[in-house]
Amino acid sequence: MKEILQVQHVVKYYGSGSVVTKALDDITFSVAQGEFTAIMGASGSGKSTLLNVISTIDRVSAGDIRVEGESLAEMKEDRLSAFRRDKLGFIFQEYNLLDTLTVWENIALPLNLKKVSAAETRREVARVSEALGVGDQLGKFPYELSGGQRQRAACARAIITSPAIVLADEPTGALDSKNSRILMQTFTQMNREMGSTILMVTHDAVVGSYAGRVLFLKDGKIWSEVQRGDRDRQDMYQEILSVMAALGGEADVR
Amino acid sequence: MFGKLALRNVKRQIGNYLIYFITVSITVALMFAVNNVIFCEELMAQAESLRELKVGLVAITVFVALIVAFVLGYATSFMLRLRKREFGTYLTLGMTRGNILCVFILETMLLCVAALAVGMLLGMFVYQGLMALVNRLLEMQFSIASYSMEGLLLTVVLVAGVFGLASLTSALYLKRVSIYKLLHGDRIVEKTVRHPFAWLLLALASLAGVIGCCVVFSQQMRLMMTGTGGSAGAMMGSLLVLAVVIVTFHIGLARSLVPLLLRSDAYRCRGTNAFTLRQLSGKLGANAVMAGALAFLLTFAVIGANVSFVQKVSERLTIDKSYPFDVMASLNEQGEMPIPLQEAERIIERYAHIERKLPYCVYRTGDNYLHSFTPWSGEAYAGVEDSILAESDLNRLLDALGEPPVELNGGFLIVADSPQVEGCDFSQATLQLGGKAYSYAGMRTDLPRLDFYYFAAVVPDEAVAGLPLQAECMAYDLAEGKFDAQALWRDLSYTYTSSYYSNGEEITFTSERSDYQIREYGRIMQQGNTAVFVVGALYIAMVFVFLVMAILALKTLSGLSEDRRRYAILFRLGAGPREQSKTLFRQIFTFFLLPFALPLLMSVPTAVICMQIMRLGGFAENMWEVALNAGAIAGVVLVIYALYFTATYLIAKRNFVRDTV
Repeated sequence: MKEILQVQHVVKYYGSGSVVTKALDDITFSVAQGEFTAIMGASGSGKSTLLNVISTIDRVSAGDIRVEGESLAEMKEDRLSAFRRDKLGFIFQEYNLLDTLTVWENIALPLNLKKVSAAETRREVARVSEALGVGDQLGKFPYELSGGQRQRAACARAIITSPAIVLADEPTGALDSKNSRILMQTFTQMNREMGSTILMVTHDAVVGSYAGRVLFLKDGKIWSEVQRGDRDRQDMYQEILSVMAALGGEADVR
Repeated sequence: MFGKLALRNVKRQIGNYLIYFITVSITVALMFAVNNVIFCEELMAQAESLRELKVGLVAITVFVALIVAFVLGYATSFMLRLRKREFGTYLTLGMTRGNILCVFILETMLLCVAALAVGMLLGMFVYQGLMALVNRLLEMQFSIASYSMEGLLLTVVLVAGVFGLASLTSALYLKRVSIYKLLHGDRIVEKTVRHPFAWLLLALASLAGVIGCCVVFSQQMRLMMTGTGGSAGAMMGSLLVLAVVIVTFHIGLARSLVPLLLRSDAYRCRGTNAFTLRQLSGKLGANAVMAGALAFLLTFAVIGANVSFVQKVSERLTIDKSYPFDVMASLNEQGEMPIPLQEAERIIERYAHIERKLPYCVYRTGDNYLHSFTPWSGEAYAGVEDSILAESDLNRLLDALGEPPVELNGGFLIVADSPQVEGCDFSQATLQLGGKAYSYAGMRTDLPRLDFYYFAAVVPDEAVAGLPLQAECMAYDLAEGKFDAQALWRDLSYTYTSSYYSNGEEITFTSERSDYQIREYGRIMQQGNTAVFVVGALYIAMVFVFLVMAILALKTLSGLSEDRRRYAILFRLGAGPREQSKTLFRQIFTFFLLPFALPLLMSVPTAVICMQIMRLGGFAENMWEVALNAGAIAGVVLVIYALYFTATYLIAKRNFVRDTV
């Protein structure tokens, strides 16, 4: 399988002088096309930092990250914007939908930035929104939607450009358990039916159990990895729980 | 403790509201400067007419202060709403509303004192600049003017009043608002504009109204100036309607423009257009009335400044035309002569040496034949007689003024100083004088004004033989040099008593009158009025323009925290720094342009109307001077706009646009 994301010996420091924190410590892993990977760990383990450097919102201190073979470290600022627009899809904990735009306009925005024609934009928005169950909410503003609907709209926006990889940062963080479950089913649908490659950061074991692979971070290092293989979600969930227990109970276990 | 908190809050806020603070300081500076002009003793001593206009000037400055209070009240209230969460937190921490009110009033007072101090410091320089302008308008020599205690006190009182009034609405709001609203009330609820086509129709109808008002005003003014009709009421009415339609035009435009553009998929799907339109949609929809009100202030600032310059230009030309000689005597042969020529000349010699005397006469025909060709005919004007000048008299005066002589070609010439006469047709008139007929040989409206009402006929010398005298006149040229024209006028004037009957009751009144027109005195009187008018209009215009720009800047920057979050999302979605900057530029430019475009465009009809005034006033040659002034005023407004826009854009760009990871 083609490797979409390659993280090679990534190190990230914060601070300067005597107050320096090593947030990421020689992290190496890769994500193959069509893979659904979760990153878990306790608060401060480096999950969000890792997602930030992959999403080009932050720079690495050492090492390299490649998406579809392109090195992010070598990219200039202008190219990075285009890269985010064309290759990455984002889903955030707080939805990050633009409150002034309708759902339709929110979903269409990445296509507009790519200068896709109006006719094609209409077609794509209709296709993705129908697939993710927000087709009847397109004329509404985000404040008129429930949390689950907002997050599905955010998912539609994230995959509308068919990005190389979808990055999700605690996507269920603001949702109740029912909406969390629905959202994770949406992620599974995006992954299986639409072929989206997903890299998700979470500290929720239930959410993690939907992924095909879970990487565990501790003190900025990859501490363990769990592959789902042919097992069902319940087995995966149990294994995640046991790994987390072995982590020292530092992670929140729901 | 509250003092400390207020001081810290002001320090924290000042960075965000620097534009607001600078504008308030500029406004205080202008107030201080104008108040010092009003109470400037050196100026009053030189121009007595200004003393009489003091009350009017104080009224103008109080009026401006009220407008400033209204605008600042608006600005203060939305500055307060920006800090709702902060005040809500204070309440949850156990502070009483009284405590919060105390903190807020202390903050406002600190801002007021700081603006007063900075403004007055700046005002000291603005005052000297303003005095230089006033001196120029009055054709007086400029010297560094002293500051007046009354001017300072009036400024302090007005600024305190302005801040007091401005804080009142905010204080009332703080007193009544619930904690929940303070903590959660700022969530954005985007409302879809209903019936955008109806709003567009309103905008178009209002635009038609603006054009209609300009046309009606122009027509009525032409009719009035040519004496062929027109009404001051209709002119005032058109101005009032103009004020209303300017506001409704902006409300209609603000509520229709964005929703209609959003309906076009081709447009909204291009780049960040949808984002920009939605950013504007909320801002314009909520601020439609504000945009209208600001446009109204700007429009009248532009009109006022233009009209004041017309007044200045026409005044200069009117003096040249109305007072062709230093002193002109006109002694009515039918009445008494309280100060005969010989006595007057002795008085004049006490002030300035008479270098040349040019006697001439105005005759009367004994009938009102020529008046029958004008609006001043019929029973109501039965007592009016035609005035006649002899050709040699007029040409002698013209020669003294360096003007070419008139040619009658055996006929008679009408000389007039009124645009109402210009429209009259004398082509069928034939004057019968001394048994000889004189046909109409044309009309001159460009000649200096001599002693006649509206018009006179110039006839060959032989035609005046035997005509009774209407007035014995004398034109004097005095030696160069300054003299006390106001004292000379007093010496040449007398108390005139007259009476009239009203409801069968005789009413007697007295007034000071002179049969001698003194050019220097007329100039001082007219220039005093013009100086007050020009300074007043420019003062109001400048304050309005600065306030409008500050409100626009403040409104833009007040959404800073929300906009910063939205631009961060754009950045994450792949909009690069250039795309973000472009989007921000379009957003701020459109927001600033909306209340600004129409007032600036109004410079064109205003200039056209002002040019018409000049043409009808007999100053057609100087029409372009007025057009240039209009261009200069528009240029100054444009520069202020550009400065505020650029400052706002750069501050916003620094805060919103992410160009590094």
